[in-house]
Amino acid sequence: MATTVQNTPGRTDWAEDGEPELASVLPQPVTTKNKDGTETVVSYYLNEAGKKVKRTQRIRRTVVKKRENPRVAERRQWAKMGPEANKPAGPGDTTTLGENIIFRPQVGFKAGGVQEKAPEEEKKNDALKKMQIKCRICSGDHFTTKCPFKDSMAAPEEGTGEGAGGEGGGDGIDAAGGLGSTTGAYVPIHLRNGRKGEGERMGGKFERDDLATLRVTNVSELAEEQDLRDMFERHGRVTRVFLAKDRETGRAKGFAFVSYADRADAARACERMDGYGFGHLILRVEFAKKADGK
Amino acid sequence: MRPILLSGHERALTQVKFSKEGDLIFSVSKDHVVCAWYSANGERFGAYKGHQGALWTVDVDPTTTLLATGGADNTMRLWEVRTGKLLKTWDYATSVKRVEFSEDGRQLLAVTEKRTGQLSTVYIYDISPDPSEPAPSEHALRIVVDEQPRVTVAGFSYLNHFIIMGHEDGSVSQWDAKSGEHIKDNYSHEDGMQVSDLQWSADRTYFLTASKDKTAKLHDTATLEVLKTYTADTPLNSAAICPDPQQYVILGGGQAAMDVTTTSQRQGKFEARFYHKVFEEEIGRVRGHFGPLNSVAVDPTGKCYCSGGEDGYVRVHHFDPPYFDFQFEVEREARAESRI
Repeated sequence: MATTVQNTPGRTDWAEDGEPELASVLPQPVTTKNKDGTETVVSYYLNEAGKKVKRTQRIRRTVVKKRENPRVAERRQWAKMGPEANKPAGPGDTTTLGENIIFRPQVGFKAGGVQEKAPEEEKKNDALKKMQIKCRICSGDHFTTKCPFKDSMAAPEEGTGEGAGGEGGGDGIDAAGGLGSTTGAYVPIHLRNGRKGEGERMGGKFERDDLATLRVTNVSELAEEQDLRDMFERHGRVTRVFLAKDRETGRAKGFAFVSYADRADAARACERMDGYGFGHLILRVEFAKKADGK
Repeated sequence: MRPILLSGHERALTQVKFSKEGDLIFSVSKDHVVCAWYSANGERFGAYKGHQGALWTVDVDPTTTLLATGGADNTMRLWEVRTGKLLKTWDYATSVKRVEFSEDGRQLLAVTEKRTGQLSTVYIYDISPDPSEPAPSEHALRIVVDEQPRVTVAGFSYLNHFIIMGHEDGSVSQWDAKSGEHIKDNYSHEDGMQVSDLQWSADRTYFLTASKDKTAKLHDTATLEVLKTYTADTPLNSAAICPDPQQYVILGGGQAAMDVTTTSQRQGKFEARFYHKVFEEEIGRVRGHFGPLNSVAVDPTGKCYCSGGEDGYVRVHHFDPPYFDFQFEVEREARAESRI
């Protein structure tokens, strides 16, 4: 038949036509006006994968009237010049939008980070408000570890603990455990009863009492524990010598702790041994500082 | 508010200026480029090429037809704003540190630097607002400042009566604009701390000076007495007066005592400070610059302000409603009473 196809009515040879290309013909966009003043536009297009996509848009058109100085309006129409001469309208790559800044003038404004509160802090504050936080030491509205009275008020616990501890070994331990942990939490032995409880320690009260412990510094690397013990033994009974050793090499780190049984011995040793020459170094001896934390 | 960042300059900004209607911003920097921007959206209008060397100063006339710039190449140039055409070049022996049009745009002054063999001089020219008419090569008046320390800033007062100058020792002086006669001085800022900027109120009857002594002072034009003092904790490079009805001043400087805060690191730490003009109290800060603020300018219609920083950025901020509603209690009561 003829190569041109004609849509004449009554044609019966449509079977011989080629494949109808329905798939590639996209319907025309349809615009309908809605009752609430908006417009709905339904359109079709082919996306990157070649698939037909239907897009429905609801558009509301409003007219905003703005009063403008005529000179300003005129300047808006000026053609851009210089390096902007042939560029399209609108801000180019020389213009970027910064981050949102909340600027609210206020009376009594104080600089120094008041404006920005970290979101984590805010969350923590909120959490604090919701939870019933109580400090175990002073029953204040904060965590126990954050208690400002950690050092001073932890002491009353010791006082009550020691009284109970003196009552006898076995009971003392149970009672102490009970006293220290009225809340039911487990309190380890060395933390109960006020730390240096009587009758609890092996070897007597002054086993590790820091009042009779000397710190020796500027110790030669070649020094050994036995050497120090011999040196300090001359002034009194030495209960303990601790020489700080490097774990890997085994050599001395340069300082040592010597504990005496008697405080007077320690004092005498301190006077005598301070400035004593040992090896190629001069020793420095002083009373050890009290161990802190407990 | 979301600041608009304008990055048209490669080096530090030296001055920014708004057109009289507040729709255009002109910025100059140490790279020899003058840029013009639309303040509404930050779109760049164009740039004026011709200067060699760093540019120190810019001013636009009240009709926004002419633009004047001065720089380290010892010239002051006059441009037509719309086309970018260079209309006139004036040559001097030293660099031009400040240019300013008078209130009516009919006069233009230029402050030239003091060097060995050259005294600090202020040149005044009569300008016609018609760009097709050539500007005069001859100055109408020349003021040679020999007895006083170097002039850093200068401007025309109301009705072109006076020329007010700021000096490098912290003093301000008043001169007659017709005869060039020296009238009076006031040693308002700390000795040796130069006056870094001088900006006018809307009617030019008072002006604000910013100085390296960490203060900005409001002076009366006729008497030169200090009306208000605003103290900051950093040397100030610039200060501007917000137009009525807002009673604020904006100070910009740098090298502050930074405290460690939890700010986002994408934002800079250098701030523009807002003070209440009458009560001298600080009411807010806006941070964002990555370097000291070299220049601040306020839109004469009061809707926005912009700051040019050492970091090469101009930041334009359009104010939110809280800015316009803020008032001190006393002000609120006064307004209420006067209505009754």
